[in-house]
Amino acid sequence: MGIFVLGYYGFLIIASVILAYVGWRKWFLMVFALTLVSFVLGIVGGAPALRFVAIFAIVLAVAAMVSFAFKEFLVQIVRPNIAKELRTAPLTASFGMFVIFTYAIGGIFAPLIAPYGQAEVIAGAFAPADSDMLLGADQLGRDVFSRIIYGARNTVGLALIATIGAFVLGALAGLLAAVKGGWFDTFMGRVADVIMSIPSLIFALLMLSILGTSSWVIVVVVAIIYSPRVFRLTRAVAGNIVVMDYIEAAKLRGEGDWYLIRREILPNSTAPLIAEFGLEFCFVFLLIAGLSFLGLGLQPPIADWGSMVRENATLISFGDITPLIPAAAIALLTVSVNFVVDWMLHRSSGLKEN
Amino acid sequence: MTTFSDKDILLEIKDLEIQGYSDETWIDIIKGVDLTLHRGEVLGLIGESGAGKSTIGAAAMGYARDGTRISNGSIEFDGMELTTATEGERRALRGSRIAYVAQSAAASFNPAHKIIDQHTEAPVQYRIQKRLEAQEDAMELYERLRLPNPDEIGFRYPHQVSGGQLQRAMTAMAMACRPDLIIFDEPTTALDVTTQIEVLAAIRDIVDQFDTAAIYITHDLAVVAQMADTIKVLLKGEEVEQASTVEMLKNPKEEYTKSLWAVRSFKRDQKSRPTDGTPPIISVKNIDAAYTGGEKVLDDVSFDIYPGMTVAVVGESGSGKSTTARCITGLLPPMAGEIQFKGETLPPKYTDRNKDQLRQAQMIYQMADTALNPKVQIHEIIGRPAQFYSGLKGQALKQRVDELLDLIELEPSQYYHRYPPELSGGQKQRIGIARALAAEPEFIICDEVTSALDQLVAEGILRLLDRLQQELNLAYMFITHDLATVRSIADEVVVMQQGKVVEQGAKDKMFKPPHHPYTDLLLSSVPEMDPNWLTDLLEERGVENVGESADVNQEPPDGTAGDTKPAS
Repeated sequence: MGIFVLGYYGFLIIASVILAYVGWRKWFLMVFALTLVSFVLGIVGGAPALRFVAIFAIVLAVAAMVSFAFKEFLVQIVRPNIAKELRTAPLTASFGMFVIFTYAIGGIFAPLIAPYGQAEVIAGAFAPADSDMLLGADQLGRDVFSRIIYGARNTVGLALIATIGAFVLGALAGLLAAVKGGWFDTFMGRVADVIMSIPSLIFALLMLSILGTSSWVIVVVVAIIYSPRVFRLTRAVAGNIVVMDYIEAAKLRGEGDWYLIRREILPNSTAPLIAEFGLEFCFVFLLIAGLSFLGLGLQPPIADWGSMVRENATLISFGDITPLIPAAAIALLTVSVNFVVDWMLHRSSGLKEN
Repeated sequence: MTTFSDKDILLEIKDLEIQGYSDETWIDIIKGVDLTLHRGEVLGLIGESGAGKSTIGAAAMGYARDGTRISNGSIEFDGMELTTATEGERRALRGSRIAYVAQSAAASFNPAHKIIDQHTEAPVQYRIQKRLEAQEDAMELYERLRLPNPDEIGFRYPHQVSGGQLQRAMTAMAMACRPDLIIFDEPTTALDVTTQIEVLAAIRDIVDQFDTAAIYITHDLAVVAQMADTIKVLLKGEEVEQASTVEMLKNPKEEYTKSLWAVRSFKRDQKSRPTDGTPPIISVKNIDAAYTGGEKVLDDVSFDIYPGMTVAVVGESGSGKSTTARCITGLLPPMAGEIQFKGETLPPKYTDRNKDQLRQAQMIYQMADTALNPKVQIHEIIGRPAQFYSGLKGQALKQRVDELLDLIELEPSQYYHRYPPELSGGQKQRIGIARALAAEPEFIICDEVTSALDQLVAEGILRLLDRLQQELNLAYMFITHDLATVRSIADEVVVMQQGKVVEQGAKDKMFKPPHHPYTDLLLSSVPEMDPNWLTDLLEERGVENVGESADVNQEPPDGTAGDTKPAS
């Protein structure tokens, strides 16, 4: 038994005793259960298994602490009314915000952060990681770390523009349909149905094969594919608002549709729309990554997470985790955005925890 | 009045404190209330909204609503302490020994199940009766509550019976396990006066027959006077006073109670039509109207409104009062007939009217909550009509908004940048009035403007409307089902029933016999501040002749007459 194992059990037992003494029942149960599980784990898996558990716990603790600190930081610097909302954010949401913030910094300042250019060949193919290349080189000898950083800019940026496009299209159509009603509403609804009835990936593949794979084509195609979902949500939300008396009052006053949308309906529907934006962003992002993986997204030599997974895929059979790094970057961002969206949905739906 | 001995105490609440969570702190809602209820006693809890009536009612079941907690005090129900009882023990009481009748029966019944299935749920769940026994028992209760076709009505779905019948079915449901205590939370507030009577009579009879104790929560003093043995007055989570009903009505001790009693005192002189040949400001001429594909809801409606006068349009819900208003504003173009403004015909659709014609048809709504955009600041809500119609900008606009806020007796600097959800109900209604005034109209439609408000607040709104009328020579079309309001503010009355005008004329004439039978029914159905009023009325008319059964030519019994306008 090494010092690590002794320290591991010692720490757990002391921690559970302290928690029991302080009376934090939930935490005590958790820590002591972990102690008991560790007994079994230690016998079966030995010190490496315990080390794995310890590292996992430390990573989790560090993430929690960073999230907490980040939330407190945000609360301090923003305006009081936003700070009040932020204080209600759970740790998962603040973790999500922290990750999004990190990605944003990485994407915006990519040329400053990345040590090499995204198309720069600096080493032999599949060169291992060293002090110069944090994550090694890819199949052409380009620095994987630099390409991940640039990927944040390219893939996330593209997904963001496409999502905004889908929102502008869908929200505008939805609001107009709710305000105008009648045949316009029906017509827009059927158009949305038609778009939604075509499988999205096949539609995208088809359009991209016909129109080529420039980034603008990707943006427009993806925006069209995802706009019906936004349309439906916006129309439903706005539909609940247009029947309110204040809309009737504004109509009787003689206000035009544009005023109704801008001043009366939009301010009351922002919360669900923002939450939907986050959710749609994840889908768009995954679709674009998927298209890149299939070779129809951003074209080489532009760094893109989806194509990076494909290009380095062969390495996986050699037990190397390099192709998993861009995949992990995709997963982490998706999960983070979902954390934040969950919190927003929770707030906008008005559910209160007991 | 029966007296109750201390031995028969069923529910004893001592020093109850309840807190609500808001803005990240716990705020006291109920600040130390004591309450003692004997077996068979009916206790009336009255107070304005926010007084904590419903919260105490829920606490009597050992229940704290979401976001609230019982922070102190004891609730003892028949020897059992509810604050320390486990959730399972408390659940076992609810439905079987303590039952609850909610304000809106329509919202409390599950529309997907038949009434009788919902009725038998509790007795079957508690294994008191088998399903078939429970069904027979339900039919018996329906008969006692004087529901039509008691053997059959339970097999309908909730939307197939009228509001008053549904409320009685809910009372029957509460009785299903023969509870010791029933909590009635404003059971008749959402009903019309004519329907209210039959529900009141039914509730009172059944509570008497089974000697059930009850807590009757309401804000309507005249109603509570009919129902309760004892009255407790609440104000902002504190008890003001408690006394037996007769005592309380005769000589209330506290100032606040007296002020509640005095509410209906506001009256103003009746004006008569101008005789110098001034044309009416609004003239409704023989209009028929129907909603798309539906039956005719208005049938040959005509009346005139002269400048500076208040015309009250009264009738039960479904009688076409609000539809008439929609025709005048142009939201619902009439099928026949026309609307004239100062002698000239208005286009039937609001989209065809010009700005000046639109300006003249301003409305004040019943629910100020939905009438004001919650995300727009007060100054913009009020300022927009001024900006839109008169083209005011910048400093002139700000001045006009300040002027309007002054007019509705709200301090401009304080309210200028606030949002509607930050205001109280009365203040919101005042903002609604200011928005109507901002268009500088000569005629305003007031759609049940006071029915969602507490009596004292409503009184303030009525006084404000009256003052504005005198200062600005406004004409009002005052839609209401509350005849007390009509008495205090109207100059002329139009009585509507099933889309027809049954009687119209000056107020003093309308309140004096002889009446049209329907007007008579409406008038006699308004509860009075006399504990014997209901008894006398029932004797006079006979039990079978109140409410829906009284109006012979009303809709069939399975119609959905009743309660579409929640009033609280």
